[in-house]
Amino acid sequence: MSRLAKKSPSLCTDLPLDNADICNKLNFLRQLLKSCFGPTGRLKQVHNNIEGHVVTTSTSSVLLPAISSSQPFINLIKTSILNHVSRFSDCGLFAAILCLSLIEQAQQSGLRGNVAIRVNKHLLGLCTTYLQGEDCGCKVKLDFCSSQNLITLARSVISSKPTCVLTEPETLYISKLAVRAFLLTVPCNSPGIVSLGKVVTMSVEGHGVLNSAVFPGLLLDMPDVFTIDKVKNLPSDALRMVLFSASLAGDLSELGVGIIEVPSGVDTDSQILDQLLELGKQVVKDEVKLFVCQKVIHPVLQQYLRSHGIIVIERVGITLMEPLTQLTGAQPVATLHTTIPAKAYGVVRDLNIRTFGSKKMLHLHPPGESAICTMILCHRNETMLSELKVVCQKTEHVLRLTLREPSALLGGGCTETHLAAYIRHKSMTEITETVPALGCSQTEYLLGVEGFCRSLEAVATVLEHDGGNSLMDLTHAHHWTHPADVMTEHMGDGLGSCGCGLVESNPNQKWTYLNTKGPQFSPAPLSRNATLQPRVLDSFTAKLNAMQVAVETANLALDVRYLIQDMN
Amino acid sequence: MLGSTIINHRQHVGLQKLKALAGITHSSLGPNKKYKFIQDEASGESALVCSCFRILENLELSCAVGQLVYETIQAHQKIYHTGSGCLLFLAGAWSRAALECLQRGIPVTHIISTLSEGMDLCVDVCRKCSVSTEGLGVEPSESFTANSHGSGLQLPKKPSVEALQTSHNLQGLSKVGFKTLNGSGQRQIKLSRHFYEARSEMVSTVTQPDQPKLPDIAQIAKGLSHGCVEAMKLVVEASRVQSKNSQQDLSYSTFDVSKVVTCKLPGLPEEHACVLPGCIVLVSEEQASVAHHFKEQPLRVALINGDLSDTYRHLGFKKLTGVQCVRDQFEFKSSSKDEEWMDKIVALLLNLEVNLILVGGLVSEKVIQRCYRHHILVVEKVKASVLRAFANATGAVPVTYATQLSRHCVGAGVKAAIWRDLSSYDGKPLITVNISTVENSELVTVILTSCIHGKLQAMEDQFWACAYRLHHMLEDKVLLPGAGVTEMLCIHHLQREAEHHVKHHRERNRDSAAANPYRATVLNLMADGLTDYISTVMVNTGRFSKVKARTAVSQQLKANNKSIEAKFSQLSMESELEDGGVSSNTRSCKVPAGKIYDNLSVKQEAWRKALDLVFLVLQTDAEVITGIYPTSDDTQEHLMLL
Repeated sequence: MSRLAKKSPSLCTDLPLDNADICNKLNFLRQLLKSCFGPTGRLKQVHNNIEGHVVTTSTSSVLLPAISSSQPFINLIKTSILNHVSRFSDCGLFAAILCLSLIEQAQQSGLRGNVAIRVNKHLLGLCTTYLQGEDCGCKVKLDFCSSQNLITLARSVISSKPTCVLTEPETLYISKLAVRAFLLTVPCNSPGIVSLGKVVTMSVEGHGVLNSAVFPGLLLDMPDVFTIDKVKNLPSDALRMVLFSASLAGDLSELGVGIIEVPSGVDTDSQILDQLLELGKQVVKDEVKLFVCQKVIHPVLQQYLRSHGIIVIERVGITLMEPLTQLTGAQPVATLHTTIPAKAYGVVRDLNIRTFGSKKMLHLHPPGESAICTMILCHRNETMLSELKVVCQKTEHVLRLTLREPSALLGGGCTETHLAAYIRHKSMTEITETVPALGCSQTEYLLGVEGFCRSLEAVATVLEHDGGNSLMDLTHAHHWTHPADVMTEHMGDGLGSCGCGLVESNPNQKWTYLNTKGPQFSPAPLSRNATLQPRVLDSFTAKLNAMQVAVETANLALDVRYLIQDMN
Repeated sequence: MLGSTIINHRQHVGLQKLKALAGITHSSLGPNKKYKFIQDEASGESALVCSCFRILENLELSCAVGQLVYETIQAHQKIYHTGSGCLLFLAGAWSRAALECLQRGIPVTHIISTLSEGMDLCVDVCRKCSVSTEGLGVEPSESFTANSHGSGLQLPKKPSVEALQTSHNLQGLSKVGFKTLNGSGQRQIKLSRHFYEARSEMVSTVTQPDQPKLPDIAQIAKGLSHGCVEAMKLVVEASRVQSKNSQQDLSYSTFDVSKVVTCKLPGLPEEHACVLPGCIVLVSEEQASVAHHFKEQPLRVALINGDLSDTYRHLGFKKLTGVQCVRDQFEFKSSSKDEEWMDKIVALLLNLEVNLILVGGLVSEKVIQRCYRHHILVVEKVKASVLRAFANATGAVPVTYATQLSRHCVGAGVKAAIWRDLSSYDGKPLITVNISTVENSELVTVILTSCIHGKLQAMEDQFWACAYRLHHMLEDKVLLPGAGVTEMLCIHHLQREAEHHVKHHRERNRDSAAANPYRATVLNLMADGLTDYISTVMVNTGRFSKVKARTAVSQQLKANNKSIEAKFSQLSMESELEDGGVSSNTRSCKVPAGKIYDNLSVKQEAWRKALDLVFLVLQTDAEVITGIYPTSDDTQEHLMLL
């Protein structure tokens, strides 16, 4: 007898963004991400409430994957932001906040969905053209002759994550390390197509940040202390090495599933061991000095190799295989059943032992110039260390992006306010041509522009978390903050300098509060004052892409007419 | 259904939790620790704990802050083995300071920047008031009489503090501090047999003026015992044994904490605790007879990393499943496979003339019996550090499989002797055998004994705390004045800095807007945290009430700043020594109080980590709970579902 289960009908929501529940959730997500933004942002503890590991973070790439929702809008935004972050590493929170603000602004303006979409698209075009143009007022050309701007760029990324709990000197130290590591991955004298190397990051818990270091070459964990004496006695010239990706544990794990029939009296284990020892003999004959395996090596083979003065390192793991091949020129041997071809061998110049706390590591120096380097990160506890690791990898990526486009944008919210002022002005001057092309009324267009600019300004505003006010000067349209607690007669007092540090306050300057109706003006380009260097710089490539992702995702969300949910 | 819940913290619940958690461990602070029972209501089991780390270990901390705290304490304990109580206390005290700041409307950024500024200040104070261990505790060349100590304790300290206030020159300061302590640090102590030997070694170094003055471990150790006098005696004894057996011909004492192992023996009175060279293993009666048979004869030793069995395979070896054995004809085998293996192994061992096998893993009773018959002593479950020490001392090469053994893998020069028979009539026969190497032996075993089984863990923890304090002293090569003196100096400097700021603020209040207007408040609150620390330690001695302790501390601070160090060190020292069993009345007037020290690196790390915790929790405004929707009835207002 079969039972008929009643299927519940699908739920269809018309104009889902008008739904209060969905709006609340989007608003809440915006609040959550807003509070994470910037160097004084608040942290979030991510855990599963059943004694699982607790992660403290304010980084979008760690926080967003932890947020799972049954609400398709949230998943849509989450996915597109994570996709941006996986490609560009930086500006994830910027993209998310901008996207959510654009949706909110479009809802508040009461514009027809398609009008808002068209206006947003048009304004995005204006932004990208302006940012990519020569006369862009919020862009800084990066000069590779000096590391100053690169360090500033790195510092801006690193200091934007307070979970790292770094003091000012520590931040600078790590920024310099990150730039150094990045420079080590750029090969110097290889003609033709240049391929960048890799920074291998390792972390050591329980030691001060200032113990962190960068080394050219690779560092491998060396749990076995017995071989240390041998390392000291090695000659320091080209040492031959072999790299195995196959397991040398002496088992038959690669055979797959099924039943194997073995005649009695046959000892498979010892036969494989014989095979392994054959391999060992060849390696000894070929005068290999370093034997590295991705997986486990049979203890008998290890003993044999060691007794012939070979340094044996097992279980290096898959992540180190590629850097190892790049560094040594070795080709990973994937089988133990044939003799090792001569070309599979690699070379290291020198080996020595480095100690970090209780960790002993074997330092492999490259034979020639190599773009592989190892970054050892130290911090006092796991929480701060894991965030620091994420941030340093992000920094490396951001620095790499500068090779493609050697520019950076002014940070500290100045790019956002500057762009907003530019768009407000530009759209007014071109209003008569634009409106017919977009197919909307002038009022609608102005409403759309206002929403877009407010969204941009909103991102600058959320940099302040302690109740201070956000301002914009009426000359260069840079971003300023005014602490809530300081009472002064004149607004100019106590402002110091703008968010990026390029403009200093002077008595003639005029300001307006952000998100208020201020006068329209064309932001003046900065007079190049050589003494002032930007304090905060953002990645150009990452921010430009983040802006595109934010506008396109918001437009897609605004375009959704129906939400159909299968309720079964 | 998938979802995540977000809890928004409006009231800074995290800081309150941190404060509450720290409150639990208040009684385990300072030299006079109280035991605590932690009881599991469900299972009825209970644990007797004494240290902050053990308390946390035995609590089931499911909240996010609790886990963060435990993670931090664990990491600290793993490296330093001491100072966890201080860490948690200050985390609690400073989170109260942070809460207070928030209530007064101070923005988070200002709280953080000022607290870390205050930390820099404290670290700087530590750096300046630290004393070099070089020659510390060494018999000074001028003769000091016992009478001069009474005044000597106070007078020479003045320049040290004065210098601290006036000069920022580190070199000059450390010199002053050095001189001070050299003069007053030496005192008359009742020397035990062991102390005497260590001391005489020191004297020999003093007579050779060319050699650098090395710290006298036995002397300084007393000042680092922090109330655990017995445990510290064992540490000093371990150091003495190590120095005696050290490879190099050293005329001074050394201490290598990595070559110390502990062995807990329940059932013996506590006075039986002692230190032996080599390691101690528990064996059966039969095995003991093998050891007895060895007498003083040097033994040949084999070291095995894994289990000593036929079926054992090394880590990472995957056994093949689904193997079918095909036989052509019926074979009759006289012996099983493991019998064959055993014959082979025994033949190999006899051939190599091995008398002793130390096995890291397990050994079956059958193998032990078989070896016993051939007068081979087999010891299982040997710690990796012990194996390593024997490998270094005897030249033996540890192997994974017994079949790997060859002549060059076998080490020589080991002796084994029965140490003590612990067999009881009804229980298992247990005989302890002391295995040590004839030469090059730096490995020492510390035997910890107690009639109360539950106390052994705490005793072991105390031993390691003392051992690591000594270890860090040797690593740092500097020490901090203990007994609250360093904290007092920090409080003094924090408060002075705050005061200075207020004055400064009044003078030029027009352009001070850029400066932090809350600096004074935050620094004062931070200093209060340290005051709280000192007064809690005083309360724990049982001779002060909370109020009395606080007044005593603030009076000390108010009293002429120049003499804080001297006066205060006396004040809390009384309680410290009382722990050692001396009556306070007789001592304070006759016996000069010993100098108490703290470790620089341990203190600084504990302070920094405490502040790290406060910063992380202070900046956290929400929890994201992944994966599950809570049931509808416990949905609270501050919960938000995405």
